[in-house]
Order: sequence, then C-alpha cells, then structure tokens
Amino acid sequence: MAERNERPKIKLAVYWGAACGGCCVSVLDVHEKLFDVVANADLVFWPIALDIKYNDVEAMPDQDIDVTLFNGAIRNSENKHMARLLRQKTKILVAYGSCAHLGGIPGLANLSTKTEIFDRIYKESESTNNPNHTRPLEKYEVKEGTLTLPEFFNDVRTLAQTVDVDYYLPGCPPQTERLLEVFMAIVSGDELPPRGKVLGATDKSQCDECPRKKSDKKTIKEFHRPWEINDDGETCFLEQGVLCMGPATRSGCGHRCIEVNAPCRGCYGPAPDVIDPGAKMMSSVATMIDGDTSETIEKILENVIDPAGYFYRFSMPASILRRKIPENLQAQAPLQK
Amino acid sequence: MEEIKIGVYVCWCGTNIAKMVDVDQVVDQIKFLPDVAVARNYKYMCSDPGQDMIIRDIKQHHLNRVVVAACSPRIHELTFRKALAKAGLNPMMFQMANIREQVAWVHTDREKATKKAVSLVHAAINRVKWHESLDKRTIEVNPATLVIGGGVAGMSAALEIANAGKQVYLVEKSKKLGGYAAQLDLTFPHFYSARQLIKPMIRHVEDHKNIRIFKPMQINQIFGYMGNFQSTLQLANGDETKLKFGNIIVATGLQPFDPSEITSYNYGKLPDVVTSLEFEKMLAKGRIETCEGKEPKNVAIIHCVGSRNANYHEYCSRTCCMTALKFANQIRSALPESNIFDLYADMRSFGKGCEELYTQTSRKNVIFLRFDQQNGLPEIRSTNGEEAVSMLIEFTEQFSKEQVEVPADLVILMVAMESHADAKDISHIAGISMCGNSFFIEKHPKLDPVATTSDGVFIVGTCQAPKDIPDSISQAKAAAARVLATIHVGTIEVDVITATVNEDICCGCQTCVSVCPYKAISFNKEKGVSEVNEILCKGCGTCGSTCPTGAIRSRHFTDQQILSQIQGLLSPDNKFEKM
Ligand SMILES: Cc1cc2nc3c(=O)[nH]c(=O)nc-3n(C[C@H](O)[C@H](O)[C@H](O)COP(=O)(O)OP(=O)(O)OC[C@H]3O[C@@H](n4cnc5c(N)ncnc54)[C@H](O)[C@@H]3O)c2cc1C
Ligand code: SF4
Ligand code: SF4
Ligand code: SF4
Ligand code: SF4
Ligand code: SF4
Ligand code: SF4
Repeated sequence: MAERNERPKIKLAVYWGAACGGCCVSVLDVHEKLFDVVANADLVFWPIALDIKYNDVEAMPDQDIDVTLFNGAIRNSENKHMARLLRQKTKILVAYGSCAHLGGIPGLANLSTKTEIFDRIYKESESTNNPNHTRPLEKYEVKEGTLTLPEFFNDVRTLAQTVDVDYYLPGCPPQTERLLEVFMAIVSGDELPPRGKVLGATDKSQCDECPRKKSDKKTIKEFHRPWEINDDGETCFLEQGVLCMGPATRSGCGHRCIEVNAPCRGCYGPAPDVIDPGAKMMSSVATMIDGDTSETIEKILENVIDPAGYFYRFSMPASILRRKIPENLQAQAPLQK
Repeated sequence: MEEIKIGVYVCWCGTNIAKMVDVDQVVDQIKFLPDVAVARNYKYMCSDPGQDMIIRDIKQHHLNRVVVAACSPRIHELTFRKALAKAGLNPMMFQMANIREQVAWVHTDREKATKKAVSLVHAAINRVKWHESLDKRTIEVNPATLVIGGGVAGMSAALEIANAGKQVYLVEKSKKLGGYAAQLDLTFPHFYSARQLIKPMIRHVEDHKNIRIFKPMQINQIFGYMGNFQSTLQLANGDETKLKFGNIIVATGLQPFDPSEITSYNYGKLPDVVTSLEFEKMLAKGRIETCEGKEPKNVAIIHCVGSRNANYHEYCSRTCCMTALKFANQIRSALPESNIFDLYADMRSFGKGCEELYTQTSRKNVIFLRFDQQNGLPEIRSTNGEEAVSMLIEFTEQFSKEQVEVPADLVILMVAMESHADAKDISHIAGISMCGNSFFIEKHPKLDPVATTSDGVFIVGTCQAPKDIPDSISQAKAAAARVLATIHVGTIEVDVITATVNEDICCGCQTCVSVCPYKAISFNKEKGVSEVNEILCKGCGTCGSTCPTGAIRSRHFTDQQILSQIQGLLSPDNKFEKM
C-alpha cells in the first residue's frame, strides 16, 4: 500500500449520460474499499456526489483526467456534448455499465421513434393530462432571456457510437469487485490491455461457470416464465424451458442472478466475436424449439413474451437492428457516427 | 496482415449478360472501391483466355483475392477456383457474383439490372476480403458397401459390386428378397414373367460369396462418414454384429397408396374393387374372378388413383398406365368374351416399347374412356343385385362431355406409388433429404441423379421416385459404378468447409450437440467444451447458427463474411461494428 501511495494520485471522473443512477451507486458500493480508491485517485468530477460544474470541466486542460467512467447511454444532445467533452479531457475513457456499453435499458426505446415516444408521453398515456398539447421545446423565449433544453434524439446510441472508447466495463451495473480490480490494475501502472477490450469479464459465457447441471438435451416444448416452473434449483434454466441469456452472455458477474435462482438476462453483453447477441440467442433458441409444424412452433413461440425486449434487453442500439427509423427518413442512408 | 488486393472480373457471357447489364458501368462503379486493384470486363470469363487473364493478373499485380461476376457458382465456381490454384493462390480466396441467372435473365430494365449487378459485385468484394485459405484433406475408403433394401434395385447394385470382387452387406427388412417385382405376374411392355426374371437374381444374390445377407433386419443407426461408416446390427439370436463399410446404397423402394381414403371408389366396402397389386396376385394365382369366385363379365380399370390430384399426390406415379395396359391384355387373353373398360385421365406411355403397347392394346377391343379429375372422380356404386351387373361407374366422359355409366363386375384401381413408410427414418439414419413428396433427393436432379448431398450415400430405384424395373436397375448399376470408382481410387478428398470450435470461447452449453444432422459434434467432458469431427462435418452451418457464444465458426460462411456481404448489398458505408 505504502508504495502505491508514493505514486501521484490519478485523476478520476465519473459521469452519467442516459442512466438510472445504478452505475454511480455501484461505484459507491465499493464501501470501505472507497478508501483504497481515494488513496489512489482524486475524484475531479462526479455529479452524483460532488458539486463540480460543466464549466469547471471545460476549463480543464485536454487529457487532464486520467480515467473517466462514463455510464449511461447517449439519448440527447447534452449526453453527446458531455461525451465529447470528456473524451477530449480524458486519457482513458471507459464505457461503464450496459447503457454506455451497448445502449442498455434506455436503448429499448429504439423500438419506437422519437415522434412515437413523444406522442405516447404527451398525448396518449393513461396518465397524460395535457389539454394544451404542450410539448417540450428546445428553445423558449422569456423576458429574462432564452430557456433551452437538450435536443432529444430520434434514437439512443452507445458511447462508442458517439466517441472513441478505450475500454468497456459491462454490467447493469458492473459488479463492484470487477470495478475495483480494473481500477487497481489501472493505478498500478502495469501494462494495460489493448484498447477496445472488454475488461472485468471473461471471454467465456455464463454457462462455463454456472453451477447448474447442463446436458445436450436443450429441447423446448413450452416456454415458461421463471415463476411458472417448479425450479429444482439444479437444472439449467433452458432445459426447464425458461429463457436464460447465459449462453450468449459474458461471465464475470459471478453469475449473480443464477445464484439467486433467476435466469441471466444478458447484462454483461456478448462473447468476444459476437456481433449481435440478440440475434445469436434467438437463432440458438430457434434450434431448441421442439415442434415440426409451423402451427406447433408458433404456439410454442407465443409464450416468449416480448421477444425484442427479452433478447435485446441491453443491446438494442448496438445491434444490427439498432433503431426504428422515422418514416420520412426510411429511404435515406443509415445514420452515421 | 498483408494488404488486400482484389481482382474483379465482369463477364458478358456473350450477350447473355451484356445485353441486360452495362458491364462497362459495373466496372466503372466498383473499380474505385477500397482494396480493388484490378477491374475488367471480358466476353467469356470461363474461356481459356478469360482464365489466363485472371492468372496473369494474379501474378503481375500480386492479387490475393478474386471476384468473378458471371453465371451461377454452381456452373463455374470450380473452374475459377482451379484458375486461382494454377496461379498459386488458395482456391478459396474467390467469390462469385451471379449476374446472369440472378440479374440478366430475370430483369427487363437495363438500368435497374445494372444497378443490381453493381450491388451484387459490391457484396462479393466485401465478402472476399474476409475469406481465408482452406486446404483439402485425404482419407481412405473402406472397400465394403452397405445396401439397404433387397428389391430389384438393391439386388442389382449388390450383384454389380460383388461381381467386381468387393464385399457387400445387404440388409432387407422383410423375410424375402425381391420387393414388389417379386409379387408381379408379367411385366410390361414385353410380358416377360416377373418370376423368371427375379427368381434367378435372388438365387444369385443368395449364393454369392461376396454378399452377406441380413434378413429380416433393420438398421437403426449409422455412424461415420464417407469411406468410413459403421453400424451395429442386432441379430435374431440376440447377438450383435459390427459392420464397417465405405459407401451406402439406399434401395428401400416405395409402397402402394391406400385408396380407402377416396370415398367415391368405395374401396374396402365393395369387395370387387381391388388394387393393382391385389390384381397382380390374382393373376399370379392364375384365375381372374370376383369375390364370389365367378368370372367377371365386365372389368373396369381406373387410372390415377391417388396420383395427379392435389388432394392425394400431385405427381404422376409413372408405372400405372403401362401396368393398366398390361392388365387389359392379360384380361383379354384370359377372358376373350369380357368387356374391358379403361378409364384413364391421360395415357402416359413414354417408355421404350410402351406407345407400341398402347396401340396394340387399343386393337384388342378395349374401350378407352377419358375422365378429368378436375371435374370430380368417377363414382363406383353397387347395384345391390338389382341389375345383371354388380357395380356401375358413373362419370363425365371427357370427349363427348356426356355423363356415362359403365357396368363392372370387377374394378381395378391403379393406385399411386407413394414413398415408403420408413422413408423418414431412413433419411435420418443415412443422412439424406426428402422432397415434398417424401422421396429421397438426389444431389443434382440433372447432373447427379443417384448421389445425395451426403458423400458416400447413394439412392437407387423407387425410393428416389416411382419408376419401372429397367429404370431402377439402371440407377442401381450407375450407383454401383460410382461406389466401385471410389473403392478403386481408395482415397477421397474431403472439403474443409467445416465448422470449428474455439475452445477459448465455448462455454460448454452443448446446444450444438444435438442439432448436427451428421452427428459430427460431441461434448468433451474433460475439457468442458464441444468438439467437431471435421471429417464427419459437412459444413451445413446449423451448429454455427445455434452456438450462442460465437465459439463455432462455420468456415467459409462466418458471420463476418455473411454480414459484410449483406452490408455490401444494402449500403456501401454502413458498418456492422463489433461490440
Ligand atoms: C402393381 C405393380 C405393377 C408393376 N408392374 C411393373 C411392370 O410390369 N414392369 C416394370 O418394369 N415395373 C413394374 N412395376 C414397378 C416395379 O415393381 C418397381 O420398379 C420395382 O419393384 C422397384 O424396385 P425397388 O428395388 O426400387 O423397390 P422395391 O421393390 O419396393 O424393393 C424395396 C425393398 O426394400 C425393402 N425395405 C424397405 N424398407 C427397408 C428398410 N428400412 N430396411 C431394409 N429394407 C427395406 C423392402 O422390403 C423391399 O424388399 C410395378 C409396380 C407395381 C406396384
Ligand atoms: S447500466 Fe444499468 S445500472 Fe448502469 S445506468 Fe444503465 S440501467 Fe442503470
Ligand atoms: S443457460 Fe443459464 S442456467 Fe443454463 S447453464 Fe447457461 S447460464 Fe446456467
Ligand atoms: S447473471 Fe446475467 S443478467 Fe445477471 S448480472 Fe450476470 S450477466 Fe447480468
Ligand atoms: S402413370 Fe398413368 S395412371 Fe399412373 S399416375 Fe401417371 S398418368 Fe396416372
Ligand atoms: S456445420 Fe456443424 S451442424 Fe453442420 S455438419 Fe458440421 S458440425 Fe454438424
Ligand atoms: S453451442 Fe457453442 S458454446 Fe455451446 S457447447 Fe456448442 S460450441 Fe460450445
């Protein structure tokens, strides 16, 4: 410990884009280990905990921050501005958590366009009471001056679709122990893994470490939701007809959901060579379905409630599908970074 | 990584392609794409000068990838792969874009066709960048052959191979060899006695020192791959025999259609309505008679029973028209005074000597009446003893368009030939595919009619489609020749377009194990990973799409290759980024 203390402290920033706050809390979850962190790092920017303004960040010299843990996705122009600003000010930019990594839960909004989302929220929802049809405006003149709101983009992007990212730390939120390991690896000054790598997770998927018994009998006659089965606590969820994203998901979390008898939902993202984890898992599950007529197969599939939300729960923006394109743009070239 | 240099060649195919695709424009549009080093068009790329052009460019411009936009890869992929090999390049560094069948021949708007051709070439260029060198591998062929099914087809194949001095294992499900041919009386069109044709053949097979017969016996499982198959047979005395063989000939035949489901024929209810096969047995016994043992005065033969009808089988069963004529002749000889009515839908007399048989039969006072299945099937009803004749058949005669009634004391239904009830099991056991009618599918319907997509597995006789004895035997002997050729060479080259498992990524979920149709995957408990037997693997890609971790790569069909291809097709710039 002493030796480490002699090293100059690193400058650490934690920022949230379109996030739930869980990732920031997971950083706090280091509990007493926070002292190790503080011993090695100066927290120079962390909106959830410190009162440091955007202006203060803008005033920092370029590359001044050593490590930024960026959690949350890019939903609006503010998220994008901060992603660019922090990229400019940071040596090692880490996409922290599923939202920054793959788009995460907010990314499921990509199944709808901006117009559809606004219609739902400001017009159609059961609790909407909006007789004047008020909609958010990006600019509004009042006598004191101009009020502004960030622009709400049509779709959610990942951090890497917005700026260059050095490393990814997956999870919703990442397992705190993994964060500490990665953090300690960075401060120790050891040689860092090649840029672009996923840290804090292995190259194998959940089933490799999962303690449940698995065999080659993955045939599904009926899909069940976890509460519908009499789980024996031992047999692979898939073999009991419960969808488990484990096979298509990197391990590293310590299979923490399976430990508590819930199937994996896939927050750690895909194995290294997989381009689209949702497609991979759907394709895999398709071969498990035990039916030989289209009617029986359709009937079996009826029990997969919300397939897009299930297979792409954390990865819609990073998938090949990526987002719903507004009708007036559908004929145009795809959106670029 | 070495710099990628792609040569792109757009073929005119004479005027075949050039008249619908602006080949100059295709070249102009793709020549500036990244990594394209050479782009040309030429009149006939498959010709020697066309191939030489590729070979020269590979050497001169140090090309390491080649794209040819021309006809279907089914026709010339091999040609161009060989050209690459000649130039010292691995033949797999090649991709073909089909701008003839998929563009020139199916479009009428030249501008749009040209645009589509550009997209297809772009897709091929994108794909070929991700191609990897693959090698061929050589394995030894076991000289024994397994024949499944002991009808004429299976016996002919067995004899041909055994006579060449090679071991044959013949497995027959029933107690007797001979199949349906052994149940016939005479054969069309020459009226040879079936017994005199088949009996000596059966004896020959039974006595042959190189043929080992297992009957009654069924195969439950076959392991292995071309050149090295094996199977275990459960003998009647409880013992087991392990057989090893290099090739398989499937000759399991077909079965007659059960006409009871056609209500208007009242088969099963009217005792004097019989099937063609039942009538053969009556003939073989030597006496044509009604159920009461009387000589029938009026005999009617109805064609296409369960054939050429969307409700039953859409196809023509091919042998029944001629069998019907054969029956008419046999009835005429046995019962010179009888009335013979032949109710046909179309007369199919295409075989050698068959049209002559038709002409000959029509001179024998056989009354031919035509019906059209579209207008409903003939109705057979009983007269309940109220008339001199026991049954009446009512239908609209096609030529006169009149409603007619034909009297009958005996009706012969020319039942369809349908796939064998065992076909599905056999298809799993031997690894062959079935068509929509559950007959086995040949490797190529024109160019390779007795082989299947499983190397070393051949299909002969009526398990492939209905056919007569000479056609069955021709196929049997053709397959025997194919088998003997592989035995003679002794080794075979196997493609390495196989699947591989990346053990660093495989999580041992075992989802892949049961999906492989060729049983090429097994789970290694010790290592906790699955393994592909690359000799068994046919590169079908099923496991690749099953494996949720991406541990399985289907060589030459990787996700990256396919997605790049799609990306080239859809939009030049949209990248599928790895996450
Ligand atoms: C009524 C009728 C009349 C005909 N008349 C003529 C004619 O006059 N002239 C002519 O050329 N053709 C005629 N044919 C056609 C002729 O019968 C066929 O072409 C011939 O029988 C085809 O022989 P095959 O070996 O392909 O099949 P099959 O004769 O069907 O023999 C198949 C054999 O495989 C066995 N088998 C099936 N499944 C298995 C299994 N799982 N394991 C092991 N063994 C199995 C069966 O038991 C059978 O012995 C007629 C057909 C019928 C039905
Ligand atoms: S990854 Fe999960 S915990 Fe982190 S911000 Fe997103 S939703 Fe919240
Ligand atoms: S599918 Fe889920 S439950 Fe089954 S072994 Fe994999 S992680 Fe465990
Ligand atoms: S088990 Fe799956 S869903 Fe749960 S934390 Fe781990 S990766 Fe995420
Ligand atoms: S051979 Fe004649 S009777 Fe048989 S299905 Fe064909 S057309 Fe009909
Ligand atoms: S590609 Fe996979 S599924 Fe297909 S034969 Fe090979 S191992 Fe079996
Ligand atoms: S499906 Fe993929 S990850 Fe699962 S056992 Fe097979 S190779 Fe391994």
